[in-house]
Amino acid sequence: MNAMKRISAILTSSWTIVVLAGVLMIASNYCETGTVQMWSFVIINILLAQSINLLTGVTGQISLGHAGFFAIGAYVSATFIMSLGLPFPFAVACGTGISAVVGWLLAIPSGRVREFYLAMMSLAFGLIIYELAREWRSVTGGVMGMRGIPSSTLGSLRIADLAIGTVAYFQILLLVLLATLYMLRNFVKSHFGRAFYAVHVNEIAAGTLGISQEKTKRFSYATSAGLAGLAGGFYAHLVGYLTPESFTLMRSVEILVMSIVGGLGSLTGQVLGATLFTYLPQKLQAFADYQFMVYGLVLTFSFILLPKGLAGLLRLHTRYSKLDLLPNSTVSADAALTGHSNTSLSSPPERLSIPLLQIQNVVMEFAGLRALNGVSLNLYPGKITALVGPNGSGKSTLVNVISGIYRPTTGSIQFNGIDIAGWSSHHIATLGVVRTFQDPRNVPSFTVRENILMGAHRLYHHGALAAALNTPRARAEEALFLSRVAALMQEAGLTIHADTLISELPYGIQRLAEVARALASDPELLMLDEPAAGLSEAESTVLTRLIRLARDHGVTVMLIEHHMDFLTDLVDEAVVFDAGEEIYRGSMTGMRTNPAVMEAYLGIGENQHA
Amino acid sequence: MALMKRAAKALSTITLASAMFALPSHYALAELPGMIKIGMTSALTGPYNEFGEGNRRGVELAVERWNAKGGINGHKIEITLLLDDQLNPDRAVQNMRRILDNKEIVGIIGPAGSGPSLAVIDMVQADGRPYINAIPQTPTVTYPDSVTKPPRPNVFSFALQNNIEASVMAQYLTKHVKRIGVIHESTAYGVSGLDYLNEYLAKNGANTVVATDSYNQGTQDMTAQVARLAKANVEAIAAIGLGKDLAVLRRTMARMNVKVPLIASNGALGQPFQEGAGELVLGTRGTMIGAFAKRPLREATKTFADAYKAKFGVDRWWGNDPQYPQLFTAISVANAYDGANVLFEGIRRANSTDPQAIIKAIESITNFDGVNAVYSFSKSRHHALDIDGVQIFEYVKEGDKTRLQPVSN
Amino acid sequence: MEFFAQMVTSGLSVGAVYALIGLGLNLTFWTTRVLNFGQGSVLMAGAMITATMVAHGQNVYASMFASMTITGVILLLTERVGVKPLIKASGSMGWVVSTLGIGVFLQGFASIAFGTQAIAFPDVLFSSGDTVELLGAYISKQYIAVFAISTVTVCLMELFLRKSTWGYAVRAVAHDSTLAALMGIPVRNVIIFSYLASGVLAGAAGILIAQIAGTVDPGFGLHLLVLAFVGAVVGGMGSAFGSLLGGLSLGLLEKLVGGYVSPAWAEASAFILLVAVLAVRPQGLFGKREVVKV
Repeated sequence: MNAMKRISAILTSSWTIVVLAGVLMIASNYCETGTVQMWSFVIINILLAQSINLLTGVTGQISLGHAGFFAIGAYVSATFIMSLGLPFPFAVACGTGISAVVGWLLAIPSGRVREFYLAMMSLAFGLIIYELAREWRSVTGGVMGMRGIPSSTLGSLRIADLAIGTVAYFQILLLVLLATLYMLRNFVKSHFGRAFYAVHVNEIAAGTLGISQEKTKRFSYATSAGLAGLAGGFYAHLVGYLTPESFTLMRSVEILVMSIVGGLGSLTGQVLGATLFTYLPQKLQAFADYQFMVYGLVLTFSFILLPKGLAGLLRLHTRYSKLDLLPNSTVSADAALTGHSNTSLSSPPERLSIPLLQIQNVVMEFAGLRALNGVSLNLYPGKITALVGPNGSGKSTLVNVISGIYRPTTGSIQFNGIDIAGWSSHHIATLGVVRTFQDPRNVPSFTVRENILMGAHRLYHHGALAAALNTPRARAEEALFLSRVAALMQEAGLTIHADTLISELPYGIQRLAEVARALASDPELLMLDEPAAGLSEAESTVLTRLIRLARDHGVTVMLIEHHMDFLTDLVDEAVVFDAGEEIYRGSMTGMRTNPAVMEAYLGIGENQHA
Repeated sequence: MALMKRAAKALSTITLASAMFALPSHYALAELPGMIKIGMTSALTGPYNEFGEGNRRGVELAVERWNAKGGINGHKIEITLLLDDQLNPDRAVQNMRRILDNKEIVGIIGPAGSGPSLAVIDMVQADGRPYINAIPQTPTVTYPDSVTKPPRPNVFSFALQNNIEASVMAQYLTKHVKRIGVIHESTAYGVSGLDYLNEYLAKNGANTVVATDSYNQGTQDMTAQVARLAKANVEAIAAIGLGKDLAVLRRTMARMNVKVPLIASNGALGQPFQEGAGELVLGTRGTMIGAFAKRPLREATKTFADAYKAKFGVDRWWGNDPQYPQLFTAISVANAYDGANVLFEGIRRANSTDPQAIIKAIESITNFDGVNAVYSFSKSRHHALDIDGVQIFEYVKEGDKTRLQPVSN
Repeated sequence: MEFFAQMVTSGLSVGAVYALIGLGLNLTFWTTRVLNFGQGSVLMAGAMITATMVAHGQNVYASMFASMTITGVILLLTERVGVKPLIKASGSMGWVVSTLGIGVFLQGFASIAFGTQAIAFPDVLFSSGDTVELLGAYISKQYIAVFAISTVTVCLMELFLRKSTWGYAVRAVAHDSTLAALMGIPVRNVIIFSYLASGVLAGAAGILIAQIAGTVDPGFGLHLLVLAFVGAVVGGMGSAFGSLLGGLSLGLLEKLVGGYVSPAWAEASAFILLVAVLAVRPQGLFGKREVVKV
């Protein structure tokens, strides 16, 4: 299907978009007013579809009430122009801003509430706004509607004394759309986009990379609401009359449908979906009385025929990195690990003898089950500690407690002197505490490169606006991290898989990628949960090399493992757990002959075994 | 096959459209063109197509009858653009834009509801071509400021306006009921109806409305509202809304043993109300255009009835009685028929497609025999129906049948 | 007192129907994590078919039986066409669109077959005028009957889920379908059963609501669906009992606010209740907190 790929590459290339826009700009001067007005409707629908795409396609949150934000943008903009006399651009901006704020507020409970419930909240929100629009007669005109809004259709819209007619309005809208699409594309490809998507796919793993799922969801909701509000403002001044009936539940559903059929996750898909649905009712008129039925059939079967929406049909894939910014010059993998505050093996010994992590008497209880029974442990910079023991002995629980996924029942956990017990996992991750999971938790639809790049999330400095506008600083930072990632991939032997979807690669590669991702975050403390399980000889060797690389840069490493061979030459100290308690601490050789360990774990009378 | 047809249609539309850029378009020709073109957007399909499709039939019938007599001054009439908006304001705006873009269109028939009409009316007024408002009862469509101020120059209404209906209702209530309870639907129609009712009741003397309530269209049950009205000890309940909801009201009243009479807007005289209320219709009174109740029918009414029956037969717009059309036909079909007729008459008198000339001609019409009433227009009067065309009817039992009987004021 | 009694009876009656609809929604949600957005049209279909058959002289009970069977089949088709092919891509929102599409299709079909205007719904349970005197107020027998039938149905369903083998199977699949399959539970059959039951319940609910309203038209159902969602979520999506209490609470709140404040606030109060419950106790009044193992 190379032809398809070619076509989709052409479709999504920036040049095509610029040329198309140019053509439309010129054509709008010569076409019928009705045609140009339809184009404006299409653009408004595209903005709405993009707003849903950002929230649902990227961040995975469902909104059943987006008509509410659309309404807020429309009524605010109209009211501000008419009552406050604000100029048109400001009024629309206010509508956008207020809508974004409301979106942010609505998402406040998102931290505590699962997706489905947030969706129900959005449903309630949309309906409340509808009722508000109907009842608040003094502001919205109530059911009688708001008349006399300065509009392009009537020529009553002015910017600084220039009358804006249908054609000029369309041209303005087109420019706004282009700017929005440009910013959205950059945003989605930046670390923000990756964070949004990670929260969608793997909330917990995202947390361990320093991504706060609460903040991310709120941000996503706010941006999405803002976009819908922007569409609303332009809508109000296109039609010149607002009635609450334009903002019903059906409208929310229509917006959702447009976006889904276009293809969630794809920016181009949204454009296609919006265009299709704006023209569809007109086209269906040919079916006269049967049009409802036909519309219903279209909706029902569109997914069977096009599982990924229209975007899927055209094999459009959204990529989440600005690969074009990868510099030609290469760096070494050391570059990835030199940023962090502390120490390397060349530091003076006093530095190396201060424990990075001090765990004291940590108890972890789950409704009656005591998983950790008063554990104390010190981890030193540049030292690799193994955590060993039978299944269920509390090893993973300890890692989960340290990394903030569980709050310990009692006890303290001091990291660099700060007590982090009970902190949220994303907060802890920002300190440089990184861990991997028993099952590699990568983002399946990201490439290897994108996955590893996710590791560097906590290190990014540039903000959302810089990311959206691709400022020089943003570009420089992205280039920096891309080159580091390339170096790490080189070190891990993953370069040939760099741009393959990670879900298509074998387990061993996925595991190595996850470890490389951990290294990309330039950690202080690295905790690996059974990393060698399921790896081949060769892959184990690579893994060892990566761990040693980290150690050489002063990273504190803790390894949970069952593979004794793997641990033998790698580890400085071994700690053995059984039933939530430490039963041995010391060297690997000592562990093999320790009677308590042998009874609990290795087996009496058996030779050491991996 | 259907695909090819549509492709061909699309292709020809594109060709036509592009051809139109090339041709210089004249806004108005001094003389009548070969074909007189009109445009219409209405709720042809969808939940409100009762009105939209009914209107279409009325307009079609009018066009046919004129063309049968040779057209307007020898020029045949054509409904060039017949568009479906399903009562959706956005669609109505898009459709109206298309109609207005077609410079050859001489007259326009507007949407079947207040929502879409209000959405398009400003652009229609700016355009200036004659516009017929057939159904929407909100007077704002025709009289933007108030019914006593000047109308929009190019808008003519053949609808049963809210204020007229409320005036008749108020007249009846003032005479017969001391403690009035009013319930209305929460839409523009309901809210403005209430406003006018209050206004006219106040004008007539003491304002005796002791309780007011509202409901949302499509609600299944009105216990709360009826209970409150009953609590206020009303002697009658005046209701403004659509037939289906009025039926729910009537049933709720029965369930709660509230036995006061129900005096409603024209929705009470349509099939949905009769279907829903069944036996309970007895005693209910409603305001309605009286044209189809006259026995014998006026000549204009009879001509229309015969023509409708000949073309469409005894269908759901006609009603159950094979001899006479139901009263409701006045609102679903005849108003559009009358509107189209008056439009064509205006074009005939003006003998031109110039909007100003046509408007002036329509305004000069007096004592025109319409189906629903006798019409007279003027510069300040752009609505066709007044209180003399509207009556109160009551459901009475005759043998084992129920029928509607006019109630003398 | 009379006023209060009126509000309470109608509230409980309407609420019981919400609960019935909510239960239908819950069933498909449990087994496939799908909320049927077309359920409103299924309600309509149940009422429409009954009304039409009775208008053509058929026996009332036969008509109701026929229409509930048909609505059950409609849900089966929904599963086959709109859900099964799309569930594979897990996390895909496709089912929103396809279930909605089926709802729109049904509405369009009904408009052509039965016309767009409201048609009469026969008095199956008593007539509007049948009242009984309770606590000094005239309480409609229709309300009582609707309340009784809905509540009994929901309770029977709850019992079924708790005690019968099929009930266990449904709960097992709801909890973890892969595990259930490994335990030998015929997951596919359980899913089919849940959809069939959901359809039958929807048909019944449609008939009951149409009985109160008096008419049925192709557009009826969407608003009810939203309120039923609210009731289901407020009660907690995990249990039939939760659905019952959620629906009843919603109905009562609506009528009481509508009665003592205003109908506009009645609408709003339903949604405010939803927001409040979600903010304070997202799993609903009777739901269980979801725990995820890391």
